[in-house]
Amino acid sequence: MALPIRYSLRNALVRWRSTIATVLGIALVVFVFVLLQSLAAGIEKSSGNTGDPRNIMVVRKGSTAESASLIGRQNLQDIRYLPEIARNANGEPVISADVLVLVNLPRRNNGGEANVLLRGLTPRGMELRPQVHLTAGRWFEPGKREVVVSAKLARRFANFDIGQTFKSGSATLTVVGWLEGGGSAFDSECWLDADECRSLFERDMYSSFLIRPTDATAGEKLIARIEADRRFKLKAEKEVDYYRKQTMTAAPIKWLGNFLAVTMSIGAVFAAMNTMYAAVGSRTREIGTLRVLGFRRRAVIVALLLEGGFLALLGGVLGCAIAFYWNGYTTATMGMETFSEIVFEFRVTPKLVIEGLIFAVTVGLIGTLLPAIRAARLPVIAALKSL
Amino acid sequence: MNLPGFIVRNAFRNKRRFALSVSSVAASLFLLITLQVALRELTNPINDEGSSLRIIVRNKVSLAQPLPARQLQVLDKIPGIVTVSPFSFFGGLYKGDEKFTSFAQFAVDPKRTLPLLADAKIPKEQLDAWIADQTSCIVGQMTVDRYGLKIGDRLQFTGQIYPCDLDLKIVGIYHGTADDRNLMFHQKYLDELLGNPGTVGTWWVRAASVAEAPLVTDRINKAFANSSAEVRAESERAFVLGFVSMWANIKTLIGGISIVVIFALLLVTVSTMSMAIRERFRELAILKAIGFRRRELFAFVLAESFGLAMCGAVLGAGGAWVIFHSINIQKLTNGLFVMFEVTPKMMGLAFSVAALLGVLAAIAPMFTVARTSVVQGLKTLD
Amino acid sequence: MATPENIVTIRNLSKVYAQGEIQVTALDNISLNIATGEFLTLMGPSGSGKSTLLHIIAGVDRPTSGECLVQGVDVTKLNESQLADWRNQNVGFVFQTFNLIPVLTAFENVELPLLLTKLKRAQRRKQVEAALELVGLADRMHHLPKQLSGGQEQRVAIARALVTDPKLVVADEPTGNLDSHSAQEVLGILQSLSRQAGKTVIMVTHDPKAAAFGSRSIHLEKGELTN
Repeated sequence: MALPIRYSLRNALVRWRSTIATVLGIALVVFVFVLLQSLAAGIEKSSGNTGDPRNIMVVRKGSTAESASLIGRQNLQDIRYLPEIARNANGEPVISADVLVLVNLPRRNNGGEANVLLRGLTPRGMELRPQVHLTAGRWFEPGKREVVVSAKLARRFANFDIGQTFKSGSATLTVVGWLEGGGSAFDSECWLDADECRSLFERDMYSSFLIRPTDATAGEKLIARIEADRRFKLKAEKEVDYYRKQTMTAAPIKWLGNFLAVTMSIGAVFAAMNTMYAAVGSRTREIGTLRVLGFRRRAVIVALLLEGGFLALLGGVLGCAIAFYWNGYTTATMGMETFSEIVFEFRVTPKLVIEGLIFAVTVGLIGTLLPAIRAARLPVIAALKSL
Repeated sequence: MNLPGFIVRNAFRNKRRFALSVSSVAASLFLLITLQVALRELTNPINDEGSSLRIIVRNKVSLAQPLPARQLQVLDKIPGIVTVSPFSFFGGLYKGDEKFTSFAQFAVDPKRTLPLLADAKIPKEQLDAWIADQTSCIVGQMTVDRYGLKIGDRLQFTGQIYPCDLDLKIVGIYHGTADDRNLMFHQKYLDELLGNPGTVGTWWVRAASVAEAPLVTDRINKAFANSSAEVRAESERAFVLGFVSMWANIKTLIGGISIVVIFALLLVTVSTMSMAIRERFRELAILKAIGFRRRELFAFVLAESFGLAMCGAVLGAGGAWVIFHSINIQKLTNGLFVMFEVTPKMMGLAFSVAALLGVLAAIAPMFTVARTSVVQGLKTLD
Repeated sequence: MATPENIVTIRNLSKVYAQGEIQVTALDNISLNIATGEFLTLMGPSGSGKSTLLHIIAGVDRPTSGECLVQGVDVTKLNESQLADWRNQNVGFVFQTFNLIPVLTAFENVELPLLLTKLKRAQRRKQVEAALELVGLADRMHHLPKQLSGGQEQRVAIARALVTDPKLVVADEPTGNLDSHSAQEVLGILQSLSRQAGKTVIMVTHDPKAAAFGSRSIHLEKGELTN
């Protein structure tokens, strides 16, 4: 038969002065864990893209990212009339050849400089990415040195207001609109006309192709054909797959989050153990009495585990609550794949909160286990005699 | 029996609690040091003798934008320059590595490179062999050790940025620079593979003296102003700090976490000490009754708290030092971190933090000891 | 042999334990019968073994040799979990230090032994209320121990001891921590348990005035019965 739950809960709360340190300690561990993982989650989202599942992305074989990939014009000629590629109403193949350029620009408020990703694309490229919308101003006109910047980037970089101009190299570009990418990688890009881009930055090679195949089977055939052709030296995959693999920036942060959580939790476990040993140490007579009354060792252990677990849960809730304060906070860092500034926000997802709480309770239970067993193992008679 | 003896024996009386407390302090200090080391590795510009004389010239657009090779003729004429060489970062994947190659490959002009790497030591025959063979390369000692390479080995790299692959023969090994990891090969070799596009990645310049360096930087910037490829020339230090500024937020984050860790540390130590003192009320009251003065009891509390913290420091900081000296961090983190050095400054920081904690954690218990009267203490039953 | 009148029969009971390197004899070949409904007091100087004897009868400690039959059951032969159940049903405990659970109210403290039975909540409530009525503390049901005086705490403890309606009530120096007025109250309750409720009460005490409340007194010294 079990001891009432309120026995554990009340015991957890009654010694709050001595347990508060442990609760706060666990709260801190959970806070760090959830914060870092929400940082990683935010970066992952902003490196990703829930693109059209039909689209196929082509980059150079061996390149880890679009911005580092170089594809020759001959490749475009070779590929564009392949039968698997869909045609639009005018009979033109739905393929977009983009040019990606990194441009070093100053941030607002003397915040230093960072690389910004410029994407030169054609109207076809914009059609293939319907998730990107204009939120202010207008789209650029072909043949003009106009650029539409991400609204999120506009908040961070100087001269990105509509109507303003900025220089890069010998060129002066005018900002004519703001775009919004739905929380994807495009929220860290600036778009301009492909031809203007190529001439401005003296690029005669493309960075990537984005293709709409006629249907799913055609898509697979196309991927196989491109990958197999040794002349091309290209890599083809579904656009959604490509973006899913952009984890290089988030991965080390996830790793750091886990590493910190594990190491800090060792300290937290010791603290919890200390707390529970002390709690048990001052209650040997109480525990002895329960055993005398007929409660089994098991019941005592469970009651103590509940107590420790409950304390840890309090810590976990507190830690998650503090971390949640940061939810939605927008900031930016250098993306390791694109080598440009990516804007993201902290995302404290429900999954993370649950993970944080489970983590806290686990720490509490591990820390309580040994003291609980020790308490229950005391011979009943010794417990009664203790002073 | 004297007070120090009493303190030591008391501390060890409850071995388990002592071990737990020391361990939690040690774990937190270990973490603190690890964070500092990681931060340092990520942001520290490598400083060696030559770096104050080195100037990096890149395209003003961005580091990713190439420069016309013909700029060399203009650079050679600028006064105050000892030597100029192209330095194109190839960034390829070594055939033996799966995801990450932790050393850089640069395409350079071998005849002009050595003065740029001021401290690099390499036998003359090896240097000559490199200059003579366009498909050869020299490798830094650290990479040679890490990958188990030797002279005569052939290395292949898959191009991740440039649309070509490399096949190079090692003819020389250098050492003595602050970063003995890099591999250097002929720019001409890369040019041929790419079909002679006539571009380079960056120019590395060695100024004649430290005083002249800023002037040279200025001259270079002016030389290409209003040309089709404007440049940004900056000292190597400024160049590296530019990278750091891109990381800006991560630095703040790690700094913030370090503070959180210290705070957690404080909590743990404080809670342990106050628990310890509560168990000692009777003894302390008895000591008071016998005639020990408050001062001495304070010393007792402080000494135990301080001692505990120091033991944790030795275990945690010392442990970090030993561990990071013995393991191969490069292998462990897949190239993300390479050196992971625990500096004396960090050790000093850890011990200072521990000392501070030892003192702080004793404050509350000392107050309680002062306030509790002898009678109260004697009546305290556990 | 257990007769209907003898609730406790002890034969050749000995308890020896080691304290460091020394062998200490707590009980030396004790034989004793306790009749049903007696109020027996165990007296003797400190270290005489009286508490040890009490603990063995109550199933909280084990002897080194000998037998102890309580209502025909040899408690020395039961294993730990059997003993736990047996104690719950058959023995009520009253301690010198009251031993109430600080975080539970008087009601919840008295209810504790019943949680090990199969009784439903409503039934448990009835028995708890009855027990508290018996000791005159029904109005303080929802108070915590720290809100009660020493005497009141001990009376709650007695209520807890009675709530499973055991045949045997053991008390180890129950008035040791009480003022004389409360002590009188408590001893009076114990006495009425024996005289009116027909329970067998075994009390350890060193106070002759407390012993006077009992119906019979036995003395122990160095583990042996004297007198």
